Amino acid sequence: MLALQVLVNGILLGGLYGLMALGMSLIWGVMNIVNIAHGALIMLGAYVTFWLFTLWGWDPFLSLPATIALLFVYGYCLQRFLLNLIVRAQLFLTLLITFGVEVVMVNLVRIFWSSDLRQVTPSYAGANFGVGGLTVPYVRLWVFGTTVALSVLFLLILEKTRLGRAIRATSEELRAARLTGIPVAHIYAVTFGLGAALAGAAGGLWGMLFPITPVMGGGLTLKSFVVAVLGGLGTMMGAIVGGLVLGLAESFTATYLGPTWPNAISFGLLVLILIVRPTGIVGRKG
Amino acid sequence: MATRSSAPVVIGALVVLVLAVAPMGLSPFLTQFLINLFMLAALAESWNIIGGFTGYASFGNVAFFGIGAYTTGVLLSVLEWPFALALPLSGLVAMAFAALVGMPILRLKGHYFAIATLGVAETMREIVYNLKITGGGTGLTMPITKNPLPFFYLMLGILLAATVVNWWLSASRFGYGLVAIREDEDAAMAMGINAALYKTAAFALSGAFAGLVGGVFAYWITFIDPEGVFKVITTIQMIIMAVFGGMGTVVGPLLGALVLASVSELLSTHLVSLAELFNGIIVILVVLFMPKGLADAIRKREFSLRQLARNLREYRV
Amino acid sequence: MALVEARGVTKRFGGLAAVSEVSFDLQDGEILGLIGPNGSGKTTLVNVVTGALPYTAGEVRFRGDSIRGRPPYEIGRMGVSRTFQIVKPFRNLTVIQNVMVGALFGARGGAATLSEARRRAEEVLDFVSLSHRAEMAADGLNVPERKRMELARALAMRPTVLLLDEVMAGLNPAEIDAAVALIKRIRDRGTTLIVIEHVMKAIRDLSDRIMVLFHGEKLTEGPPAEVLSNPDVVSAYLGRRYAERAGA
Repeated sequence: MLALQVLVNGILLGGLYGLMALGMSLIWGVMNIVNIAHGALIMLGAYVTFWLFTLWGWDPFLSLPATIALLFVYGYCLQRFLLNLIVRAQLFLTLLITFGVEVVMVNLVRIFWSSDLRQVTPSYAGANFGVGGLTVPYVRLWVFGTTVALSVLFLLILEKTRLGRAIRATSEELRAARLTGIPVAHIYAVTFGLGAALAGAAGGLWGMLFPITPVMGGGLTLKSFVVAVLGGLGTMMGAIVGGLVLGLAESFTATYLGPTWPNAISFGLLVLILIVRPTGIVGRKG
Repeated sequence: MATRSSAPVVIGALVVLVLAVAPMGLSPFLTQFLINLFMLAALAESWNIIGGFTGYASFGNVAFFGIGAYTTGVLLSVLEWPFALALPLSGLVAMAFAALVGMPILRLKGHYFAIATLGVAETMREIVYNLKITGGGTGLTMPITKNPLPFFYLMLGILLAATVVNWWLSASRFGYGLVAIREDEDAAMAMGINAALYKTAAFALSGAFAGLVGGVFAYWITFIDPEGVFKVITTIQMIIMAVFGGMGTVVGPLLGALVLASVSELLSTHLVSLAELFNGIIVILVVLFMPKGLADAIRKREFSLRQLARNLREYRV
Repeated sequence: MALVEARGVTKRFGGLAAVSEVSFDLQDGEILGLIGPNGSGKTTLVNVVTGALPYTAGEVRFRGDSIRGRPPYEIGRMGVSRTFQIVKPFRNLTVIQNVMVGALFGARGGAATLSEARRRAEEVLDFVSLSHRAEMAADGLNVPERKRMELARALAMRPTVLLLDEVMAGLNPAEIDAAVALIKRIRDRGTTLIVIEHVMKAIRDLSDRIMVLFHGEKLTEGPPAEVLSNPDVVSAYLGRRYAERAGA
């Protein structure tokens, strides 16, 4: 029945939100940079997937590794050659500069690729399957599966690899990390690259479900922030939990209040959560 | 903080005199440009109150601008009130909203505060979009006035008022309190400053001016809609103008607005994208090379490339 | 009635009592020394008395009025000022502007006008011998100067009670002597003081009475000579075995 359908939709969407927030949470946790251009990275990922599909016919799921790689390189360079210059500045200035990056990225895309709505529509786009009265579009299911796979992969990298350990060390104790020979500038760049890669992947997946425009990123940045804060900053699990919460909240408000309300609810939720429990659902107080 | 000197006052008075008389002989294009300039400068000065003096960098002041615009919009087009009543009400409503929202939000620090303010602005846009009385996505249309002159004087007047308030802050007990809060809030409280009250008052003041500007804007532009009036880029513009000119100073935001708005006008032709692109690039360049602003460079009389290079290296990894 | 009365003051952080059942009286015009090993609760006690932290149990009264629930700025206006262990200068202001903040917002609301505040600030700077730095930016000062500015800011508030939290940390012996002389002059001008210090020579010289905290509890209090040769006090700082070996 309807409620169950809404629930399923919410979960499927929530997985994607979680993936988006992972990237932002990582960058914030390690470098204390709140990346306002996060949504623009998602947007870029969506466009890369679109062009690979439109120009060369690459299947959007199969082209994800390419999108991921491209966005990683882009993110790495952005951090290494620009953001590393202001890492130690006051919070406000780092926020401001990422705003500038967002504006530049969005407008360059507008100029070169126009503001026309784009869509990625592979041959299997409209297919659904039914299970117990529920209709689940295949694409949504596979998107969800991919988000789970990517999230798990990312968490494994962070926990089990040398690189992941270096990243965590840098985020926890910068001076000690430096003293043990960790090349901080490079690690920061890799971290941002990873965050961008995650965002790009999320963008590629998003592009299969929703229209792609140059300005799609703005709201997604805020939503990623909502998710990161909802779940609890710096905790990767938190991003996933938060994503599910937001996905469900949006799904239910869209169905029961109207399609124009989800945004108001998410942003309102953000403000509320910041006031009531800034450490988030999973995060610890203090 | 201000050291007393009559020079700026005299120069200011002269400039005001010139500007007041000028429209008699200005081209329509120049009049429009100046109205826009006054608007941006007033917004920058209003942001300076909470961002520059108090140190709470709000990324959502466009919310107050939009609320002011919509207050005027609804009063004028739906309730058909006269503008003379609508405008002060716009300022008051925006101010009340800022005070209300400020009370819980100003308890947040750093990133949380900034994003919360951003969230407030975005929420306001979505709410306005969803309400019937505000015309939803279709927007509101004001009665048309042919003559831009009243708007010229109104914007100029608001700009002057905002600048005077900034000047008062730089040399008053209240202003000292705000600056102390900015520099070290715990120490400020230990020294007898009611930080919560002062912060909220500063936020409300900032919102009031933004609301007034929004009210005039709505009537001037005659058509408002949520997308046009709650633009994030507006907040970014007011911030970067204040930062570029020198946040926390009195004339910094003015200077910043003057320079950046002029250059922006010169560079962009008819493409909206180009103007915004320029804004974005300017933001990046200013943060990299001149985070302390023009006013600081002028004070230290340091205009060398070497100083720019030094600024570039100051905050790196 | 004592100027400050504390009865059974307790401050818990979760399960840990940083301050436990501490009672004392502060008499008008005296200098009360407050000593104890690191982590014994001295700064927490200061935070509680100045309203920076709410206390879990007990009562603190200033001139008979309870300070429970009052925010720090109210207590500052009541006439209680403090310095911070790690100094908190207003970096982007000049030294005299820093002190003016104290003059503007201190006891009973502070000075009414900026010029009045400036006058008071100049006087205080002269008192602490910092006049030559008046127009310098606060972050250009060296360590002893920063401590004196921190002190000047608190003094500009015209407090009745002044709590000094390790003002002498980081000072060399000559600077310590100067600080001791300055603090005595502050008392002579009519301010009552609580001084937290680790520099025993200074505390012995300054205090009328000394109170010792250990693990959040009041260990003992009394005249300096008595307290500082008390075996329990020595062993609290240096360990029981040293105290026994030293035959204290």
